[in-house]
Amino acid sequence: MKVIIADDHPVVRQGLRQMLAAESDFSVVGEAKNGQEVVELSRRVPWEVAVLDYNMPGKNGLELIKELRQRYPGRAVLILSMYPEDRYAVRALKAGAAGYLTKESAPEELVSAIRKVAGGGRYVTPTLGEKLALELEDNRGKPLHETLSDREYQVMWMIASGKTVRQIADELFLSPNTVSTHRTRILRKMNMKSNAELMHYAIAHHLVD
Amino acid sequence: MIAQSGEEALRLALKNDFAVILLDVRMPGIDGFETARLIRSRERSSQTPVIFLTAAADEMASMFRGYEVGAVDYLMKPVVPEVLKSKVAVFVELHRKSERLRESEDKLRRLAAHLISIREEERAHIAREIHDELGQVLTGLKMEVGWLAKRLTSEELIEKTDSMGKLIDSTVQTVRKIATGLRPEMLDDMGLIAAVGWQAKEFQKRTGIRCRVKLPPEVKLDIDVSTTMFRIFQEILTNVARHSRATRVDIELKVAVEQVALDVADNGVGISDGDMSGKKSLGLLGMHERALLFGGDVRISGSAGHGTRVSVSIPLRGKA
Repeated sequence: MKVIIADDHPVVRQGLRQMLAAESDFSVVGEAKNGQEVVELSRRVPWEVAVLDYNMPGKNGLELIKELRQRYPGRAVLILSMYPEDRYAVRALKAGAAGYLTKESAPEELVSAIRKVAGGGRYVTPTLGEKLALELEDNRGKPLHETLSDREYQVMWMIASGKTVRQIADELFLSPNTVSTHRTRILRKMNMKSNAELMHYAIAHHLVD
Repeated sequence: MIAQSGEEALRLALKNDFAVILLDVRMPGIDGFETARLIRSRERSSQTPVIFLTAAADEMASMFRGYEVGAVDYLMKPVVPEVLKSKVAVFVELHRKSERLRESEDKLRRLAAHLISIREEERAHIAREIHDELGQVLTGLKMEVGWLAKRLTSEELIEKTDSMGKLIDSTVQTVRKIATGLRPEMLDDMGLIAAVGWQAKEFQKRTGIRCRVKLPPEVKLDIDVSTTMFRIFQEILTNVARHSRATRVDIELKVAVEQVALDVADNGVGISDGDMSGKKSLGLLGMHERALLFGGDVRISGSAGHGTRVSVSIPLRGKA
């Protein structure tokens, strides 16, 4: 498998090279350190997969993806980025990238990601996959937390952040009784039995950090 | 300078700044009152003091009319030179002082603008340095550790490299958090509209205050205007979290050809006039100053129990 790697940081290129060198059927056919070099390199050497840093000097990531996709429609571009996927991955995929992974996950995921996109597949991390699935689900019907009133939402958020009824009452200038009433209503509306269930839901839906 | 008629006086007042204007009430053509009214209706000369010269005592009846159009004094003819001299001297001195005040205000404003832009540049620079340099080195390190882990067989050592990997990951997270806190990379990569949406989501996640966001389709906007708007937005949200006790914030961003407008309304306790003018309102002052730099405008309204609404508009100078 012929791979191009592009990153403006030598340490990262070296790390990538080492990782790929461990796979006998992979060969790194060229390296680039900015967008311009990628374009030139892509013309000069034969390649199947390009592993690109999203943020290199010169051309921005999206432009580069589009340009490569236009010239080489059959080949795969895999984006490797310092930026969290929830903000950038969808854009990169829309622009024509075959996959997106964060640099932190590279040591575990890179090789399998390259194999997947080289075979014409798409690669997203399990976390992003889950998020996209949740979004689809949310589009079908109103997500449960949207059925809460604004005040209930706030109380739900505070419970999910691990605050006690007493703390919530103090912070919101409410009586503990009122907070408990809110809590009962929240659990009923969301079809849940415990705070733990609530916390789990809030984390899964990225309502809390 | 000397003018022979009302018209001539007007022409002169258009082109010059005067410390004081002496006007005869009776002149051919436009009379003194009308001349004064016209002079003071111009932005440039709206504050210029006017002293009327009147010939006869019966004209004293029209003194009120004179004061209405901006007269500061009346002098009877024949004019006593000493009196005229000392009165004019007072206004000349006043004019000089207010001129100096205006200059120093102007300087302060320019200094504030300079400080804002320096701080913004510095933040962007530090964010980039931290994120790119530190972040990339950590990435490299993670890869090295990964390489090492693959060649280890001892369970104990593999455990060590695993925990090293986790430490590096959490350090990368921290680096990213610091860099984004200094200047969100979204703003530069994706623009104001995406950044406002992201910031609102983060705010809801951090505070539990629900945000409803209405955003226009994404367009590229001038980066300095975007930064200004984004920082004002952050300041508004900080105020909501700190003072409003709101449970909900409605955010709307609109982009038109000539301006970008942001409207943020919460359902909290409402800002009072005292809050707006109090000593703690430096944050509000900062918002006004930032907007003013680009010819923009911040309006804040609130009433007890009905929440606070902040409307910001910044003109786009054909750069949209």
